[in-house]
Amino acid sequence: MMPRNRVVFVLSLFAFAACIFAGFLTIAPNRLASGQSLTLWQLGGIPGAALTGACVALLALSFVPIARGVEYIVLGLAIAVFVFQLFAAGFLATGSLTSAPHGTRVSLGWAFWTTGFCLAMIAIDALQRLNAGTLARLAALAIIVAATALITSGGWFDGLSLMREYQTRQDEFAAALGRHCLLVAVAVFLAVIIGAPLGLYVARGPQRSAGTFGVLNMLQTIPSVALFGLLIAPLSALGIGGIGAVPAIIALVLYSLLPVVRNTEAGISGVDRGVIDAARGMGLTPAQILWRIELPLGMPIFLAGLRIVAVQAIGLAIVAALIGAGGLGSFVFQGIGQYATDLVLLGALPTIALALAADFILALLAGFFERSPS
Amino acid sequence: MAASSFSAAADAIVIASKIDTEGALLGNMMVMLLRAHGIAADNRLQLGPTQIVRQAMLAGLVDLYPEYTGNGAIFFARESDPAWHDAAQAYALVKQLDHDKNNITWLAAAPADNSWAIALRRDVAQAQRLTSLADFARYANSGGSVKLAASAEFVDSPGALPAFAKAYGFKLARGQLLTLIGGNTSATERAAAEAISGVNAAMAYTTDGALAVLQLQLLADDKHAQTVYQPAPVIRGSVLAQHPEIEGILDPVFRSLTLEHLQQLNAKIAAEGDAPAVVAAEYLRANGFLK
Repeated sequence: MMPRNRVVFVLSLFAFAACIFAGFLTIAPNRLASGQSLTLWQLGGIPGAALTGACVALLALSFVPIARGVEYIVLGLAIAVFVFQLFAAGFLATGSLTSAPHGTRVSLGWAFWTTGFCLAMIAIDALQRLNAGTLARLAALAIIVAATALITSGGWFDGLSLMREYQTRQDEFAAALGRHCLLVAVAVFLAVIIGAPLGLYVARGPQRSAGTFGVLNMLQTIPSVALFGLLIAPLSALGIGGIGAVPAIIALVLYSLLPVVRNTEAGISGVDRGVIDAARGMGLTPAQILWRIELPLGMPIFLAGLRIVAVQAIGLAIVAALIGAGGLGSFVFQGIGQYATDLVLLGALPTIALALAADFILALLAGFFERSPS
Repeated sequence: MAASSFSAAADAIVIASKIDTEGALLGNMMVMLLRAHGIAADNRLQLGPTQIVRQAMLAGLVDLYPEYTGNGAIFFARESDPAWHDAAQAYALVKQLDHDKNNITWLAAAPADNSWAIALRRDVAQAQRLTSLADFARYANSGGSVKLAASAEFVDSPGALPAFAKAYGFKLARGQLLTLIGGNTSATERAAAEAISGVNAAMAYTTDGALAVLQLQLLADDKHAQTVYQPAPVIRGSVLAQHPEIEGILDPVFRSLTLEHLQQLNAKIAAEGDAPAVVAAEYLRANGFLK
């Protein structure tokens, strides 16, 4: 017998194997020790059995002939089990902390991350097979975000080491998150202000492209740590201050220029010559052609570039912590220094969430322009 | 916009630290002490690695931060000066050099010396009765099993492992070293504690909080093979001239910070995961520096 839905088959098989063989939680006597990895079965019956059972159910569903109804069941089950898994992790962590000494730390293990990833992929796959619209996707996301927020605010995660790291630095976290967003927002804004006109300039004269892209390509190849470091001396000499937000933003802008310029150029050059000739024939001025024809028609490609830039800048801004610019990277580098994985995650997970959110929002925006090229 | 977010109240004293546990601890102490005495302080702790914080101070962006006396050897390119191996001479030398060259003042240093060291698994140290590097050299030379986890920097830079090997007369073969490129002491100590790849000795800093928790024992450097790294507040001369009272506020606190104190306080942050600000405040209150 062959599975009908191979994606669900492979993913749920992985999730099932993780439930049986991999550690779901790791319990360490203190923040520095590696600790002991415990599987769902070692942690106790009901949540483990429920989670494993759900994986088996998804595995069984992969053999059912593909139909919309089945996809809906798979989608619903994947989301429900994803949320249940979060709840189970918090519940089991709190349970394993009873009568444990003060320093004890409970961290999420491989089984948690593997099943979480597989379930998310199953849900995304089902949404794609269902040809789900923006609203349906938003709804699925909202359910997961709301459930996570509820579980967090209900204190269910308080037993987890990750939450302990957050609680000891709540104020710092808010400041770092805000700082991270500010760095990225200013950098992307400046990259658009500089890059979009530059892209237009190249589009108007294709002979200019080799030089411009040559320089921008070269900038892109400089390793980020090196670029941040290289900016310190010249900026200090200029009296701007080579440390802190300014060099970080400059570096982020330099990295962001290539995608912005390239996609602006591609968007404008990609507009059908016939459309432009028609507009000219109707008596539109070059400025009107730019604002009413070229920019709106090139917008989806420009936004695709912006998407790359935003996601890239959110990730790169981590390194900015090394030149005193703050942001979520300060947790990542403190965590690496202390060998505290959960502190690294406290910086990394929100960064991933920010990147996904930016990607999602800009994809929505691009979809809007594609559908209504007015 | 970006620039203004970096410069808060114009006359506040900008306090920074390196991006590590002890930097967070000492930096928080400085912030709290100054604020308790009515001096506005701008908290820029965990700013970055040593070069960044140092450059920020030289550029006038940072007014006050904790630095280690032995780093003067690098700052002033005088690695071969024997003064760095003596606490009093190292302090006097770096204080003199930084004052003359950069108008930066070193306030009183802590007695704790956070130098590079070798830590051994406690079970090995106790079974073989090893407490000092001289013991360790004897053990290693008589064929005792040793595997040391260390960073490439520790293995190669003349002031670190080669200095130990020369002073105490031992030599570790390539197979007795587990070299981590860019490794830090939390990684090497963990390797020893968990006997990863047979490691039983680790590069360490003497004030590391993890040592006791991970059941590791420091080996005493009786011959002072290492550069002395005593933490001290360094402050820009012009800022100290405006607020001369800072010296009287910080000196008694730093003078009270012994090796044992720093190990305990660092352990609270690194092993138990307490917030550096909380640990700093507890110490200052318990010792009457804060009300």
